[in-house]
Amino acid sequence: MQIIENDLIKEKVYIEKLESGITLMCIPKEKAIKKYAICGIGFGSNDNHFIIKNENREVKNPDGVAHFLEHKLFEQENGKNSLDVLFSLGVDANAYTTNDHTAYLFECTDNFYKGLDELLNYVQNPYFTDENVEKEKGIISQEINMYDDEPEWKVYINAMKALYKNNPIRIDVAGSVESINKITKETLYDTYNNFYVPSNIVIVVCGNFKPEEVFQEIKNRLTIKSKIPAKKIEVQEPSQINQKEIHEKMDISIPSFIFAFKVNPKEKEKLKQAIAIEILLEIIIGASSELYEELYKNGEIFEEAVETFEWSKDYAHILIEGKSNNIDEVERKLLKRINELKENGIDEKEFERTKRKIYGNYVREFNEVSQVSQLFILNYFRQINPLEYVENYKIVSKEYTESILKELFKEENMIKSTISPC
Amino acid sequence: MNYIKEKIKDGVNLHLIINNNFKTDLTVFFLTVPLEKETVTKNALIPMVLKSGCQKYPNYKKIVEELEMMYGASFDFGVDKEGDNLILKFYIESINDQFLPEENDNINKAVNILTQVIFNPLADGKFKKEYLEIEKQNLELLIDSQKDNKDAYAFDKCINIMYKDCGFGLSKYGQKEDLKNIDETNLYEHYKKLVNEAKIDLFISGNFDKEKILSEVKSNNLLQSLNDRKENINRNHFKNEIKEKVDVPDEKIEKMEVTQGKLVIGLDILPNDFQDYRFIAIMYNAIFGDGVNSKLFQIVREKESLAYTAKSMYIVRKNNLFIRCGIEIDNYEKTVNLIKKLLDDMKQGKFTDEDIDKAKKYILAGIRAIDAEQDTQIIFLFGQELSKLPLTVEEYKNNINNVTREDIEKFANLIQINTIYFLRN
Repeated sequence: MQIIENDLIKEKVYIEKLESGITLMCIPKEKAIKKYAICGIGFGSNDNHFIIKNENREVKNPDGVAHFLEHKLFEQENGKNSLDVLFSLGVDANAYTTNDHTAYLFECTDNFYKGLDELLNYVQNPYFTDENVEKEKGIISQEINMYDDEPEWKVYINAMKALYKNNPIRIDVAGSVESINKITKETLYDTYNNFYVPSNIVIVVCGNFKPEEVFQEIKNRLTIKSKIPAKKIEVQEPSQINQKEIHEKMDISIPSFIFAFKVNPKEKEKLKQAIAIEILLEIIIGASSELYEELYKNGEIFEEAVETFEWSKDYAHILIEGKSNNIDEVERKLLKRINELKENGIDEKEFERTKRKIYGNYVREFNEVSQVSQLFILNYFRQINPLEYVENYKIVSKEYTESILKELFKEENMIKSTISPC
Repeated sequence: MNYIKEKIKDGVNLHLIINNNFKTDLTVFFLTVPLEKETVTKNALIPMVLKSGCQKYPNYKKIVEELEMMYGASFDFGVDKEGDNLILKFYIESINDQFLPEENDNINKAVNILTQVIFNPLADGKFKKEYLEIEKQNLELLIDSQKDNKDAYAFDKCINIMYKDCGFGLSKYGQKEDLKNIDETNLYEHYKKLVNEAKIDLFISGNFDKEKILSEVKSNNLLQSLNDRKENINRNHFKNEIKEKVDVPDEKIEKMEVTQGKLVIGLDILPNDFQDYRFIAIMYNAIFGDGVNSKLFQIVREKESLAYTAKSMYIVRKNNLFIRCGIEIDNYEKTVNLIKKLLDDMKQGKFTDEDIDKAKKYILAGIRAIDAEQDTQIIFLFGQELSKLPLTVEEYKNNINNVTREDIEKFANLIQINTIYFLRN
């Protein structure tokens, strides 16, 4: 068992890699009231085109299979639905699908091991029928339609379309009403059998646990057999953006925007680069930046902009999101600010202050068992450990940050996605 | 958790919640006033103007820089509607000192920043005109942008139809037409009155030394200079919220560019001879529409595939329940009829003992989880602070456990549909 510890934030993670290929992680939190368990599968909406090696068979799935599978995995052969069973135990359960992984989880104050029985049982034992697959189509269609009415979602997915030409991240995780109608129980079984295999599985628990004990309890419940997972057919994504601008109208009152920079995923120094980007975003347009102050004073921005760096194995982009009645002016001033920072460098005091802020954001992620567990899952699939953050944080210098600014914040890599009132 | 309430002045209270299971400390001011048509717009504007700058930190940038020096404390402010009251909220979440590379006295700093922002504004008989003009414009945008979130808009609209132009029916952001009559002088006068009359609650939650924080709060001049005040809030109480019988529910259909139809149904609880039925209502709500095992989820969503979201909620302060579903527009009548049937089924006692047991477990799990999040803990305690019949977590649990099948069945027969609202294209 491997133990990684951080003295400053006073957290430890215990990691055990099982022979079958499954990874277990435990972050003990002696004083936590809740216990949390999450089972992550290294299979997400981006894995829609793959090859099954031993059968030498290529599969191209309809969009939305990973998410559909997530919905349907709760069905049990005995006619029960595991979500109902978990809630009946007084356990709060859920699941979600991202571009590169799917996660099944529950949290509770009591009945943890009964919850774990159910979680690991349904994740390892799918039961799909024509009828239960058909029934889900109406529900997922309404989920898709719900997002369709949200301007925040629209402006985001449009930004992905502008950034990427081929990468499936440009497609809605849930697929479309048309694509999900093509999904059958055979699609789900075929996908499940070739991706839900031990080497793709990580289980994280957080709460008042003794690591050896909880790991043993998990192992006692594992039945899934080792198998070589299907191999995703990688898409060739150009390093340039796909289109400069994308625009859509909706029945809303304030226009919203995303400015996004396309970044080429890195093999090394991933965390270090991510920290530098977080610092840069604060300095460029964060709440204490000159740019934000100016835009706000002129009534050119409504509320603070939201800045994020999203990244995974096969994509990375920087997003600056906000609402404004004068998006062109925001764009002009944003580019001006970036250029000034490139030319004049970052103010030393501002750099140190912002670095402090970034540290606080990081510590905050360790507040609750749910956040902690999801943080470890997310980063597991990014192939990093969140506890390495502090070491990287220490070595991010002003000079390094300036070099990242020059390397990544280029106008030719930037797209603009906007939603305006009809 | 260790909870202590201390009076600072009449109507001004300090609440200390000491816990050691979080990385953060939370410092929160709530200023509670009645929600009224005449004052709501001004009240909504006040937090926005106050955060723009105070005597000590003359602009927002200075406030944020101070927060950043505290290793990224986060600052949040705004208004919330709670029954017929409006609550002005000011939050600072800071990192607890033991997780910082150095001692930073973060809680004391948070209390000081918030008291400066709220009680020592940048004003000299009037607010700064420049700040006010920007915030008036922003509030106008906020009022307009309520329609951008279609789901929330539909919910607000249904409440608005049920409580036209009064208290709970008002938008927490107020009315656009009021803005033109607000200037830096009359807003400042309003502010002075607000600070003198509002119920003020300061919550501090985190890992700290009680005596140290108490002495710091007691030596805070801005807090000590507040005056005593008489209570002037609406302690909404289920016994005062008398609903009249309606024969035909109000039905409103509104059109907008939406892909999905948003259905909201407002329900009343009719007068009855229960002593206290809040816990029965919570149980009824859980069986009917809250959570995965509820009728709405199991039948409207799972069995009939009509919706992705199908849920209900109980608003204790107003004696109402609300049902919310996102559906295909063509399925409007089908869904409404199905929901009516499910309400009737409840009246006829068509729910099992297992349903009751599942609902109890679900609610009790929620109660046990109150202490797992700092914010939830504060909201629970503050909720009791505003209640006419406050209770502890233990009492809450016991009351839920004591609800019987007969109670729920009798209660089901008190439910009537008041308003059906549908947003479609």
